Amino acid sequence: MLKTMNQRIGLILVILAGSYLLLSYQLPSYPYTSVDADVIPNGLGWLLILLAILLYFSRTKETEAEKQKRAIPRKELLVLAAVFAMIFLYIFLFEMIGFIIMTGLFIYFCSWFLGYDKWKTNLIVSILFPLTLYGIFVYALGIVLPRGILPF
Amino acid sequence: MEAFQGLLSGFQVALSWEGIMFVLIGVVVGTLIGMMPGLGPISAIAIMIPITYGMDPAPALVMMAGVYYGAVFGGSTSSILLNAPGVAGTVATSFDGYPMAQKGQAGKALAIAAVASFIGGTVSVVLLMLLAPALSSVAISFGPPAYFALMLMGLTAISSLSDGSTLKALISAVAGFMVVTIGIDPQTGTQRFTFGSVNLLDGFDFLIIALGLFAVAEVCMLVLNRRNNSLSDSQKLGSLKLSKSDLKEMSGPVSRQSFVGFILGVLPGAGATISSFISYIFEKKIAKKPEEFGKGSIKGIAAPESSNNAATSGAFVPLLSLGIPGSGTTAVMLGAFLVLGVQPGPMLMVERPEIFWGIIASMYLGNVFLLILNLPLIPYLAKILAIPRPMLISLVIMFSLVGVYSISFNVFDLYMLLIFGAIGFFMRIFSFPAPPFILAFILGGMMEQAFRQSMTISNGNLSIFVTSPLPLTLIIISLLSFLVPVLLGLRKKKVEV
Repeated sequence: MLKTMNQRIGLILVILAGSYLLLSYQLPSYPYTSVDADVIPNGLGWLLILLAILLYFSRTKETEAEKQKRAIPRKELLVLAAVFAMIFLYIFLFEMIGFIIMTGLFIYFCSWFLGYDKWKTNLIVSILFPLTLYGIFVYALGIVLPRGILPF
Repeated sequence: MEAFQGLLSGFQVALSWEGIMFVLIGVVVGTLIGMMPGLGPISAIAIMIPITYGMDPAPALVMMAGVYYGAVFGGSTSSILLNAPGVAGTVATSFDGYPMAQKGQAGKALAIAAVASFIGGTVSVVLLMLLAPALSSVAISFGPPAYFALMLMGLTAISSLSDGSTLKALISAVAGFMVVTIGIDPQTGTQRFTFGSVNLLDGFDFLIIALGLFAVAEVCMLVLNRRNNSLSDSQKLGSLKLSKSDLKEMSGPVSRQSFVGFILGVLPGAGATISSFISYIFEKKIAKKPEEFGKGSIKGIAAPESSNNAATSGAFVPLLSLGIPGSGTTAVMLGAFLVLGVQPGPMLMVERPEIFWGIIASMYLGNVFLLILNLPLIPYLAKILAIPRPMLISLVIMFSLVGVYSISFNVFDLYMLLIFGAIGFFMRIFSFPAPPFILAFILGGMMEQAFRQSMTISNGNLSIFVTSPLPLTLIIISLLSFLVPVLLGLRKKKVEV
């Protein structure tokens, strides 16, 4: 039943569209308008279900190029997951520790992790980039970034 | 006469020291980001938007326009030197640009690209200057039904023209429209899909979507391709000089494809990528020696380069005069306008002539700057391609995070950026095009509003969309843009059987 990629994606989309519709039908009604808040969402939900069904039954085969795009070695996916984990950690500690320190750490470790081995250059960039960006945003543009544990 | 006066006032903006400075910043940044393999104009514009907060709208938008056409201009450099196009619109340039560079004539290929881009861009600005005001004055009489139908046509056009499956493109567009329904409904005040969260009341800022689906997702692809070739120091560019016969050979394609590119840029859905391919094929078909194409032909570089830059300026016609973007990139440009409190559309020329004409006038200047940047200075600029991929990846991630944080000062939005980054990555992996998503996200709110206004006018009668000629025509075109590819597909199958 779920042989092709299109069938799997189609099924996921039907589930998503179904949950969206479920929420949409529960929207409270508002009497003084000709088009209520749920009209467009209902239409979109049904449209997506229709398109997902068409995708499920579509017989277009994946081209070689498309298959190639999908074929990612497991190791590379783990690398990508690690980068996402690093970004997650960055966001989590961003306001506590502050922009400058976190950005410096992120650039150094992320570049190193992805295979950049010139540590001196890496260190210089990791120090200069956050300071420059902080200077531009806070002093030139007036956009305050979290100071965190640093005094300035 | 009015247009002439307008243009003069536009040049006052563009030629003020502030104008000159911001055009220069825009085109330099655009060229540099555009050169980076994998990072396109959408990322370039989205990364630069936070810089414009608090700026005066006229110079800010002059700069953003510069980022856009600068990115398309700069994209050719990595196509030619690395065979890794920085921008989808310059893929066709690599067909002949890279082979020419392999022959040791990289400098010549870059020079052809720069001159062709300059001419395409400049011809297109002249046409933009003539067409945009005319379209503005017609569009001023459009009612909500016509606007709704126009936006519908934009969405169907981008879906049927995007590469890969039309069905997937449509799904992408519907998903983008769904995401924009999250938040408080502006008309009734009903909370939609907010799950009671304060963070979702205002919906998602478009910058989260643009940076997530494009910059972060593009970075994910860069992570996977991080070991690919970057520029080695030893690579020689060779002479940048073009001989008289070179110029003569490119004159034909450039003069034809500048117009082709402009027209395709104005039409919804097409834009730089499609126009560059069409122009390439066009020139190959009519060439006396088509076998030279793909092996480093001068015409093969000149045609797509003049065309994609012409399409870029052409795309400003519907954006400035109708307020309706026809592509993913111009959708993000529209976002840049709205961030600064400027609503493009037929009233822009009347209410904010300094912005309308300022942008147009600045494009003349921007193209001259780009020619200088991309001809004599290109050996120095190309050095940026030597930036190691790991470093580039970390820096782009940081730019995206800071950009999103500076709009809302809310960490929740940063998590959302990460989620949309993942969605964008999966869309790329499973071949769902992202431009229809962002276009639908930007147009969705406007479409819903236009739909409701139409229904209010007609007392809830749907026939308002088919009783007057303009909306009817547009809706028929929208329907045809699907049915024709489907029918052609069916016929093809029958022939195969």
